[in-house]
Amino acid sequence: MENYNTRYARHYSLNNFGSEGQQKLANAKVLVIGAGGLGCPVLQYLAAAGVGTIGLADNDVVSLSNLQRQVLYSTEDIGRAKASVAALKLQQLNPDITIESYKMVVNNVNALDLIARYDMVIDCTDNFAARYLINDACVLLDKPLIFGAIYQYEGQVAVFNVKDANGNKTNYRNLFATPPDPLEVADCNEAGVLGVLPGIIGIMQATEAIKLLTGLGEVSVNKLLTFSILDYTNFVIEITPDDSVLELMPRDKLAFKNTDYNWLCGVSTAGIEDLDAASFLQKADLPDTLVIDVREADELPKVHFSNLNIPLSALSDKMSEIGVNNVLLFCQSGKRSLKAGKMLLEKFGNSRKISHLQGGIIALQEDNNE
Amino acid sequence: MSIKIIAFGQIAEITGKEVSIDAVDTNSLRLELNAQFPQLEGKKYGIAVNKKLVTNDVTLYEGDIVALMPPYSGG
Repeated sequence: MENYNTRYARHYSLNNFGSEGQQKLANAKVLVIGAGGLGCPVLQYLAAAGVGTIGLADNDVVSLSNLQRQVLYSTEDIGRAKASVAALKLQQLNPDITIESYKMVVNNVNALDLIARYDMVIDCTDNFAARYLINDACVLLDKPLIFGAIYQYEGQVAVFNVKDANGNKTNYRNLFATPPDPLEVADCNEAGVLGVLPGIIGIMQATEAIKLLTGLGEVSVNKLLTFSILDYTNFVIEITPDDSVLELMPRDKLAFKNTDYNWLCGVSTAGIEDLDAASFLQKADLPDTLVIDVREADELPKVHFSNLNIPLSALSDKMSEIGVNNVLLFCQSGKRSLKAGKMLLEKFGNSRKISHLQGGIIALQEDNNE
Repeated sequence: MSIKIIAFGQIAEITGKEVSIDAVDTNSLRLELNAQFPQLEGKKYGIAVNKKLVTNDVTLYEGDIVALMPPYSGG
C-alpha cells in the first residue's frame, strides 16, 4: 500500500474507512478555535487520527482550575500559553502531521484571513461573542463549522454550513438569531462543569469532523443534538433553514471587519471602560477614585486592595452616596460589575468616569496564574 | 389543551425538567410560561415542536411535545 503507516493500521483495516479514509484525513486542514475543555479532546483525537494540518488558536494560559478537564495540560504547564503547550504535546503525539499554532484571540480583524486557510472550523470557544463571530465568518466564507457547547451536565453539538440532501444549510443564527444578554447566561466559571462533559462533547465534535471529512455515516447536519451525561439521553431537533437570519449578519467581509462582537454580545458597553487586571490595580490607587465590590458581602475571595462593598442588589439605594469622579467596579466574573456600570451610567451620565474589571476577580487571579 | 414541555439547561432550572402548560399555539405558550415562571421573562430560548425548531407562531395540538432549548456557551 502506498504511504503505509503502521500508526493508522486500525483505520486501514476498518470497514468503510481503509486507506482511502486515511488519505482524506491526511489531506484535510482543520482549524480548532479554543484549546480548553472542548478543544483538548478535539485536538488530541484529530491529531491521533492523522488529520494532515491542524490549526489551533487560543490566547489563554494554563491555570490550575483548568486541569480538572483540559487534559492536554499538566500541573507543570501552569502559566504557559495553551497554544504553545498544546502544539508541543500534539506534535509529540503525532510527528507526521503539521500543527499550526496561533497564540491570539480570533477577532473581527483576523478571523476571515485565518479561517480562509482551512477546510473546516471547530468551535471550542467558551463565550457568545466568539461563537457569533466564528459563525458569521464561516457563513461568509462558506466553511463547514462544527459547533459544540456545554452547560453543567449537558452539551450541544451541531454541524453548520453543510448542505443536506435537499441542498439546505443552516447556521447558529437559525438556532439563536441574536446573542442573549450576557448577564442572563452563566459560564463554566460561575456555573461549574463536570470535567468529563467537555471530553464527551469534544469527542462528538471530533467524530463529526472525521465523518464529514471522510464521508462516513450520517453527519448531524441541520440538527442540534443535546446530550445529558446524567442519564445519557440525547434529544435531537431539526433546525429549519431560514434565509431571513442572514439580514442579522454582516453582509460582506468589510462589514464583518467593522462589526464589534464584544459590543454586540453586550460584553462591552459604550461609556464604561473595560480594564484588564493590571490597569485596574494601577487605577485603584489614583486620587479621587472609589473602588466598589458589587458582590454580596459574604462572597470569596476577599481582595487585598481597599474597596467599598455595595452589593449590586443594594446599589440603586446607595448610588447617591458616591461623591468621587472615578468609579472602579468589580465582581466575580465581570458581569455584575458591568450591570452596575450601566446603572451608574444611567444615573450620572458622563459626569463620572466609570470603569470595571473585565473578567472580574477570576481574571485577576488567573493573571497571577493561581 | 395541555401540552407537554421538556426544558433544558438554565430554563429547566426555572421550570423543572418537565411541565405541562395549557396553550393553543407557541405564542400563547410563551406568554403562559412567563406568567407561571416570571424568571423566564427576557431569557433566550428556542422552541422546538415535536423536535422541529419553530421561529414563527405555530398552532399546537393534543399530544404535541414542546422543547425549550437555551443557548449554551461553555467550552
